[in-house]
Amino acid sequence: MTLVLNRIDDRLIHGQVVVGWGQPLDVAFIVLVDDVVAESDWEQELYRMGVPPEMEVRFHSAAEAGPQLDHYRTEMRPGILLTGDIATMKCLVEHGGVREVNVGGIHHRAGRTQHLRYVFLTPAEAAALRELAALGAVVTAQDVPATRAVPLDELLASREDA
Amino acid sequence: MIELVPLALLGGILGLDVVCFPQMMVSRPLVAATLGGAMAGNATMGVLLGVTLELFALATLPFGASRYPEWGSASVVGGAITSAMPDATVGALTVGVLATLATAWIGGMSLVSLRQWNAWMARRRRPALDAGARGTVIGLQLAGLTADVVRASLLTVGAYLVLHPLAHALVGAWTLGESVSRGFVVSVACAVSFTAAWTIFHSARGARWYFAGGLGFGFLILVVR
Amino acid sequence: MTPTDAPSTALAPRLSALTWLNVFSRTLAIQGSWNYETLLGNGIGFSVEPALRLLPGGIKGAPFKAAMTRQSAYFNAHPYLASVAVGALARTELSGVPADRIDRFRTALSGPLGAVGDRLVWAGWLPLCSLIAVLCFGLGASPLAVILVFLVLYNAGHVSLRIWGLYVGWTRGLNVASALANPVLRQGPHHVARAAAATAGVAVPLAAARLLGHHVTELGFVLGASAVAAVVLVRLHGRVEGYKLALVLIALFALVSVAR
Repeated sequence: MTLVLNRIDDRLIHGQVVVGWGQPLDVAFIVLVDDVVAESDWEQELYRMGVPPEMEVRFHSAAEAGPQLDHYRTEMRPGILLTGDIATMKCLVEHGGVREVNVGGIHHRAGRTQHLRYVFLTPAEAAALRELAALGAVVTAQDVPATRAVPLDELLASREDA
Repeated sequence: MIELVPLALLGGILGLDVVCFPQMMVSRPLVAATLGGAMAGNATMGVLLGVTLELFALATLPFGASRYPEWGSASVVGGAITSAMPDATVGALTVGVLATLATAWIGGMSLVSLRQWNAWMARRRRPALDAGARGTVIGLQLAGLTADVVRASLLTVGAYLVLHPLAHALVGAWTLGESVSRGFVVSVACAVSFTAAWTIFHSARGARWYFAGGLGFGFLILVVR
Repeated sequence: MTPTDAPSTALAPRLSALTWLNVFSRTLAIQGSWNYETLLGNGIGFSVEPALRLLPGGIKGAPFKAAMTRQSAYFNAHPYLASVAVGALARTELSGVPADRIDRFRTALSGPLGAVGDRLVWAGWLPLCSLIAVLCFGLGASPLAVILVFLVLYNAGHVSLRIWGLYVGWTRGLNVASALANPVLRQGPHHVARAAAATAGVAVPLAAARLLGHHVTELGFVLGASAVAAVVLVRLHGRVEGYKLALVLIALFALVSVAR
């Protein structure tokens, strides 16, 4: 077993991650990579409260996470790698080892356009996703396991009228 | 056919309960199909349908942003259609389940459309929201609630008008025996509920043994009585 | 925990019973304008608004308008546990916590309240209550008894959770993480899962027997076939939605029945 899901989700730890993916995949730990959360004890404590007691959450900044991921991939138990934005995931893909990226939720903000009901992107973010693919990662969008994984080209081509 | 206005009201109120207000779970198939059945004059048939559907509903967890079936209005429609059929109609339960699942699926899509409409409304009022306009916040909430009741009522009436004659035509042409028909639909419902129980509970330490123990106890009751 | 970098919540004005009633009743409609852009953000603003009227200057004052703008922005949580956020955010706003702190707190609160609520309620309490009602049906209860057992049991937990959420949110403010360490929230889902697993074991065969009625001789076949099908579905790791698969299978079955 290894990191079975590499997910970009601006909500970080929430129900879709813990129950939606975590239960069917028997996830034992979550690696949360976020520069702000890595520096904040009280935010870490809040996120720890969001997972079952037997599930571990490990917090890292983008800079320190890469080498740690190599270690996590040797663990026998399955885990989820989670970032809140595309830029952080890009750092991890550049480090190596992240071959598939799941876009699980990037929500509305000024300047973003809706692509799926749970994916809104600025032109720069769309370009960043293409860069992830150019680095060799297979990028798909999928909020929960029961829905279809939408390939990157289809994701970027689609525009939903919110 | 039963009165459409009370049916629309019931479907509207129970459809509203799914997401918007007050989420007391009167929208669960167990409750909604029984009430739909009672409205058609046969609560016993309604609860049979409701329990069968509840076994399916165990597998659909309503995580906020994900897409899930709208059981409230759909179960009212299914309960009303099935319970209006004469007792011992062969294929009635199977057709009722089919009608409800189809309506729940379409209802799920109507919820997505409602959410898109809510977003459109909010976007049009963005300047007022950015200025902290209290009236706009309250207005958006009331507009969303009203639209949801209207959505659920229209879904209930529309689905009933389409599916009621279709369901009667289906049971009229039904050739398989009740034993096979009911056995099939109950098998599928049990399979979905067993899968849901495993997916939801297996990660809790010892849960599989609790399940096995429960199963043994269940069989014991069946044998004894 | 007492986080070192989380500011303590200063004294806030006392809210009247009427204000609390207003806030609580609004939380019942917190998802009234749920949408894919702000999710239940507008519902947070809607629910917290009666409390914000106590800000200096009232509803016409700049602090009220600034707070309404903040509180109506994007937010995502479980609808019942969003009450924790409503209580805590009302407290922070009325205590004069700086806006940037409130924004950061609001963001951090969102995901965990969603995860805890989804585990405890959607994947715990709701299926347990549902299975208990199915068990009552399997034991021969009347339609009225079945739905009353379900609604009374479920809503005893549901309403208590919403009231508790408002209370701990208001009393703990920025330190609300300690409330989420409550054993009911941490260990509760485990116990509920075990109880639900045991109930599922008893309830499903008994309910199947009653559903089959006069055709109960088919029960062995029904449970055997469903167990095999369940194993196949479990191996798909949740990639197939059970009700959609059922819709297709039952539609095909109906087609066979009317076409042969």
